[in-house]
Amino acid sequence: MRQRKTTWAAIIVAVVALCLISVLDATAQKKGGVLKVGNLGEPPTLDAHWTTATITEVLTNHLYEGLYALDARSQPIPMLAEAMPAVSKDGLTYTFKLRQGIKFHNGKEMTSADVVASLNRWGAQSTYGKGLYARVAEVRAVDKYAVQMQLKEKTATVLISLAIPNNFAAIYPKEVIDKFKPAEKATEWIGTGPFKLVEWKPDRHIKMVRFDDYQPRKEAASGYGGRKVVHINELLWMPVPDAATRVAQIETGELDFADDLDLNAYDRLKKTAGVQPIVAKPYYWLVAVFNKKEGLMTNQKLRQAWQAALDMEPIMKNVAGGHAELYRLDSSLAFVENAPWHTKIKGLPWNEHNRDKAKRLLREAGYKGEPIRFMTTQEYKWMYDFALLTKQQLEDAGFTIDLQVVDWATLVKRRNNHKEYDAFTTGMGNFYDPTHHIYLGPNWPGWTDDEDLNRMLAELAGEGDYKKRFALWEQVTRAFYDKVPVARYGDLFGLRASRAHVKGFDTTLMRPRFHNVWLDK
Amino acid sequence: MPESVAVNESAVLAGAPVTAAGARTRLVRRLLRNHSVVIGGSVFLVLVLVALFADALSPYSPTRLYPAQRLKPPSLSNLLGTDEFGRDIASLVLHGSRVSLLVGGVTMVLTSLGGVLIGLVAGYYRRLDLVIMRVMDGLMAFPAILLAIALMAVRGPGVWNVIFSLSIVYLPRTAMLIRSTALSVRELDYVLAAQALGRGGLAIAFRHILPNCVGPLLVQGTFIFAYAVLAEAILGFLGVGVPPYVPSWGNVIASGKNVIREAFWVSAFPGLALTLAGLSLNLLGDGLRDTLDPRLRRE
Amino acid sequence: MLVVVTVVFLLIHLIPGDPVAVILGPEANAQQIEDARRELGLDRPLHEQLLRFYARLLRGDLGRSYFLDRPVTQALWERAEPTLVLMTAALFVAVLIGVPTGIVAGAYQGSWWDRGLMTLALLGVCVPGFWLSLNFIYLFSVRLGWLPVAGYASVLQDPVAAARYMLLPAVSLGFNQSALIARIARSCMIEVLRQDYIRTARAKGLAERSVIFLHAFRNALVPVVTVIGITMAILIGGAVVTEIVFNIPGLGRLIISAILRRDYPVVQGVVLLTAAAYMLINLMVDVVYAYIDPRIRYA
Repeated sequence: MRQRKTTWAAIIVAVVALCLISVLDATAQKKGGVLKVGNLGEPPTLDAHWTTATITEVLTNHLYEGLYALDARSQPIPMLAEAMPAVSKDGLTYTFKLRQGIKFHNGKEMTSADVVASLNRWGAQSTYGKGLYARVAEVRAVDKYAVQMQLKEKTATVLISLAIPNNFAAIYPKEVIDKFKPAEKATEWIGTGPFKLVEWKPDRHIKMVRFDDYQPRKEAASGYGGRKVVHINELLWMPVPDAATRVAQIETGELDFADDLDLNAYDRLKKTAGVQPIVAKPYYWLVAVFNKKEGLMTNQKLRQAWQAALDMEPIMKNVAGGHAELYRLDSSLAFVENAPWHTKIKGLPWNEHNRDKAKRLLREAGYKGEPIRFMTTQEYKWMYDFALLTKQQLEDAGFTIDLQVVDWATLVKRRNNHKEYDAFTTGMGNFYDPTHHIYLGPNWPGWTDDEDLNRMLAELAGEGDYKKRFALWEQVTRAFYDKVPVARYGDLFGLRASRAHVKGFDTTLMRPRFHNVWLDK
Repeated sequence: MPESVAVNESAVLAGAPVTAAGARTRLVRRLLRNHSVVIGGSVFLVLVLVALFADALSPYSPTRLYPAQRLKPPSLSNLLGTDEFGRDIASLVLHGSRVSLLVGGVTMVLTSLGGVLIGLVAGYYRRLDLVIMRVMDGLMAFPAILLAIALMAVRGPGVWNVIFSLSIVYLPRTAMLIRSTALSVRELDYVLAAQALGRGGLAIAFRHILPNCVGPLLVQGTFIFAYAVLAEAILGFLGVGVPPYVPSWGNVIASGKNVIREAFWVSAFPGLALTLAGLSLNLLGDGLRDTLDPRLRRE
Repeated sequence: MLVVVTVVFLLIHLIPGDPVAVILGPEANAQQIEDARRELGLDRPLHEQLLRFYARLLRGDLGRSYFLDRPVTQALWERAEPTLVLMTAALFVAVLIGVPTGIVAGAYQGSWWDRGLMTLALLGVCVPGFWLSLNFIYLFSVRLGWLPVAGYASVLQDPVAAARYMLLPAVSLGFNQSALIARIARSCMIEVLRQDYIRTARAKGLAERSVIFLHAFRNALVPVVTVIGITMAILIGGAVVTEIVFNIPGLGRLIISAILRRDYPVVQGVVLLTAAAYMLINLMVDVVYAYIDPRIRYA
């Protein structure tokens, strides 16, 4: 009898506590509402396997999930996989246990068949997938909820490749994959993510709603992974191609959230009541990529002269709209935020703004003022801005720069042709593993086909021990500043803003995510 | 929009025979009595002088960047303020007149030359007429600015590409005008007489028909000048005109668009300059039309 | 029309740049791009692509957008509404301001009314529309907060929001044209008032007011209708810039982004559609002309 009483008491306490928690929960996080997000235009596709375009990355990560995701420290943590994989002693077999009872948006349960098909399609089409699949022998289903990956040779990049959010290893239902060949854009967008797509009207909006059968993980939210709960009813992505218009629309409240804002607006947004400016770190480091296959910039001395002439402070400050909070001077090839790979090497020949050294190098290179074709675009304003400032600094040191301002499509096409340029502008985002830094390898425009770098990168890919890998990575960094395959500028941050009633947004993320966000209107 | 008046203007215009020297002096006197011509002409002249002496008039280089001076409001050192790169707006606006006048002027000359050639040939050789007019109709079937944008996408940015594109866009209007004038004149007695005398086709076209086209051509040319100036600015504004680092009004307005809240002066002053240029050319064109077109001449 | 089609196809394929590279994103490599090109049939020789284009066109098929991944006809259909609404609204603004202004100015030629209104109209013609819209946005949206900065709402779903979104674009697009219409309306009015039957009416001792409104107005309207038709055609071009500035999801924005993305089928589609619209408008003008002007009767 007494025992029963205590049990009852315990149950009552527990129920009351639960009620309290849920009540607290309810006051803290309101359910419902429409969140209007202004972003910079139309995605080329919502097929995550298909493109590295940032806009597709942001959108698709709300719809799909991979086996793993990156946490706040950029480390892989399980997402659709139950736990970290079991790896065989020889390091060649990875076994992934899947979570059970995970539903796709079409109501079907996710099984190993879907995962195998998705990984294979990703391996055939995605930039990162192809990189990993060069070492993969086979991926097979072990049972309904287990998948095995067999490698040809050992690599340290399996987990990170499966976890990165760009051009990512999203899991689709097998039926979708059977329908669309890897080289064909999928036009049925079904995933397991916390949001589900209801409407895509190009140039008007992309409408997503809460996926009610979503099963959040138990672990606390961290980075792009962990517990995801959707509080809002509807997520409405509004394409607003003009950055200044996005700023104006967040000021007037036409948008609840806006990404990629004009950096000049930072001060004003800080002063605007009801608007919360958010600095997105990291964003890009700015870079001038040299053509090392043909033409003037094949000359290492000339590339070193370019590097020596640059004065980063005025360039970065101008690009950042005059705001010191929106840029950072750092020479590491991995961002500060990417702690495991951030290097702190002193005395690298970076930001020297040494005009005499540049002039000397130009002389040694035998440069006679031949025009250097430097391509940039205004579609990304920051590219044009730093290219223009670069032109002036280089010409003061004795270069002749032929600045060619073209549209992005032309730039992307021309940069694949070694006859058409000497240098071009772009930005480097967050690379989560040293082997992912595309500009160091021979397969990306600019064609850094350097024996030493190739050797070090191959070692990095095969090596499993973090300490050894880091030492190698430092070596790569030093070699980088000697060979100058590209000229690294400073880190530029992104500017986004939300209205004050948007709560729970993780401001530390490089790319926005709207799970765990609620509206307090 | 740039093509504004052209289409209906050509409908209104008819040939104004101007031959004798005495008529010429009378004409000049009449032009000088017309307020529109005088005001428009003098403002335009000032613009031309500004363009010619832009270097001497500008306090700073329009291309040198001064990052530390970015977005300064109008002051004594920068009368019209500075832009995002610390360039002096006054110097940019002064130098911008060069691009505008160059594009406008050369486009006017090219469309006039091309238009006269095509128009006369079409107006005189009836067999070629059909083919030529089909092509012209084809070109006229697109909105002018759309065609210009498409041509610029093919050619890439650059002053001469802008001129080329705009000349192609506006050529058909002039050609049509000349053709219709030629058609109306070719049945007149003195042309028929020349034909009977055995003069060659081209000789007749140039000797007898062309002089009648001068008036309408001048009026049309002035308006084309105005549209070309405006179209150049629109192309620059859309980012497909002259390269963005070349000082032109459209480019400066485009760069001012981003910072209109922080620095209204960046887009305001080149916009005013553009309006002024348009105003002077339109006044000039109106005045010329009133004076040269006998039908609209006031008694 | 065949000429138009071919010109468009060749023009567009001459644009340098690769649609595939844009779609695949900056980090795609050469092999991926090659694969995707084959998938889209872009690796075929140009004449073969052209022939296929003709064949599809005959079936009323404009092809499939590379970027948007849907039939071009569907993409056009989706963007038609905003452009039509914008053009109708702008035309409304233009006529509403333009016709009364011109009639009043013409009826009282030489008066202060006339001079004041015509100075305004001249300014209206010369102020660049895109610059005007920037200033409108700055003043009415950002400073005063009366109207939304940019965007679009469907008239069918939410007429109030639609009107708020459409007001500034329609005014900035229609303003230039209203000035144009005013000027034409004025000169037509003057022309008509000189006619004999007006003198007769006056001689009969009719009140000046009824002379103007009963006799002159209707006759002055005839050329004005032509001008309104031309205005509509011009608005198609003007809408491109307005849609960009105000972020309206219409055909103008579609073609600009399609050019930037090298989405050839879409560019072709929009250009063909505008060309067809142009011709249709011209036809309509002829018909209306015949209806209004009793002198013209088609058998």
